[in-house]
Amino acid sequence: MGALEGVAREAGGRIVAALAATFRDLDLAEEAFAEACARAAAVWPSAPPLDPAAWLYATARRQALDMIRKRNVRQRLAPDAPEPEATTEEVLASDARLIPDERLRLIFVCCHPAVAPEARAALTLRLVCGLTVQEIARAFLIGEPAMFQRLTRAKRKIAEAGVSFEVPGPEAWPERVEAVLSTLEVAYARAHEDAAGASAHAGYAREMLDLTAVLADLLPEEPECLAFAALVRFAEARRPARLDAEGAMIPLSEQDPALWRRPLIRDGDALLRRAARLNRPGPRQLRAALHAAWSLRRSRAEPPPWSAILALYDQLLDWREDPFVRLNRAVALAEVAGPAAALAEVAALDTAKLADFQPYHAVRADLLARLGRRDAARAAYDRAIDLAPGPAERLWLLRKRSEL
Amino acid sequence: MQYALLIYENEDLYRTGEGRALDDIIAAHQALAGELAARGILKGGSGLKTADTATTVRKTGGQHALHDGPYAEAREQLGGFYLVEVPDLDAALAIARRVPLAGDGAVEVRPVIDED
Repeated sequence: MGALEGVAREAGGRIVAALAATFRDLDLAEEAFAEACARAAAVWPSAPPLDPAAWLYATARRQALDMIRKRNVRQRLAPDAPEPEATTEEVLASDARLIPDERLRLIFVCCHPAVAPEARAALTLRLVCGLTVQEIARAFLIGEPAMFQRLTRAKRKIAEAGVSFEVPGPEAWPERVEAVLSTLEVAYARAHEDAAGASAHAGYAREMLDLTAVLADLLPEEPECLAFAALVRFAEARRPARLDAEGAMIPLSEQDPALWRRPLIRDGDALLRRAARLNRPGPRQLRAALHAAWSLRRSRAEPPPWSAILALYDQLLDWREDPFVRLNRAVALAEVAGPAAALAEVAALDTAKLADFQPYHAVRADLLARLGRRDAARAAYDRAIDLAPGPAERLWLLRKRSEL
Repeated sequence: MQYALLIYENEDLYRTGEGRALDDIIAAHQALAGELAARGILKGGSGLKTADTATTVRKTGGQHALHDGPYAEAREQLGGFYLVEVPDLDAALAIARRVPLAGDGAVEVRPVIDED
């Protein structure tokens, strides 16, 4: 069962995407894949396949054809001539490359501007990354029934409105790539903000490395796309260094750079350099550059690159005035110009937007504590803890509060 | 698939002449409709007289009542529509982007129920 789960998670996105592209029906693709997994659970223990992913794909494809035939009969229409099917034996004789990578196409479908923006990331995670509705609901902090409804509505819109399953022509890319990237950013932020990384998150963080590689490969002339692929690599490189022995999060500046995964950092650097050569700057390139600046650090002995970070945040503000960017900038400012200057900046932020944003209260608490204003700091930590961060963040906040 | 492209505009722009001149718009519609017809895409459509000529039959609790005016009391009113047949939503949206408008406005793209 464990093996099936692993294969399903690893290859599920590719299989569902290939089925969706062939049959242009998202529900059918999902049902057929689920049915194939159920068959695998029954058959594999006695007859394990040579290539599990190809087995799942072939079985799901056959299942989908079957469902279409039944549906046509039910509608009393002449059944379509069946497509020539590969037998399972034929599939087994080939290899995993049989499954075409249709994920990009499916990402473009899920992130179509005609799909409600709040459903795009969820739909991508469901169909392309194979997360369960429950996992997605948890990631987006909404109830499972509400998430189910959101997904159902989005799939219905795609089917009924006749959204195209083609990758759009280059003339449509500025709009589409923006929608795709912002969708994936939301999805990745969910995976990344929880340092403890529940197993599902670790799973789709891996998917995100794959997906961004596919995107960068297919859209090599889109610098923001390359930069996002770089960003995911830099951020994932730090995963082994983000938790201490007790499971509390370790802030970036206190992490041990020796634990960072250097090959991923090298890949990130290469992608970011390719983006820079295209000579079309953008906010994602600056965000990736922030990560790259941190990645230059080799050991705890080297001082953190605070002034470089501050300068990059200043440039980022030129792209968009954003309270979340200002908050991060204040963290760097505290190191360069002292906590009083940073607290003045934080005080000037739009509190209405940040009131329920846990890092806002955590940053304020830290600055207040460094200025010796213990009671105010304690209150700010309480507020941050109330906002129910992930378990690792919670542990860290509780510890900081007790150190006051 | 067939799609209705429903054109919502502020009719005042045509009365006051603030937007593009009425003649220009009509010429632009004729050009677009002519091109779509020549490509076999256009299945129907028409301009509508202004909303002050509309009468609405409203059914409330089983009773019908007539109301002098359009269904929705909005600034932008349904002013006309195209019925087109294209492969998918993106093709319909591409045409919707080309529909002439006097100023600000909206074109709602709605798939038509397939009768087959």
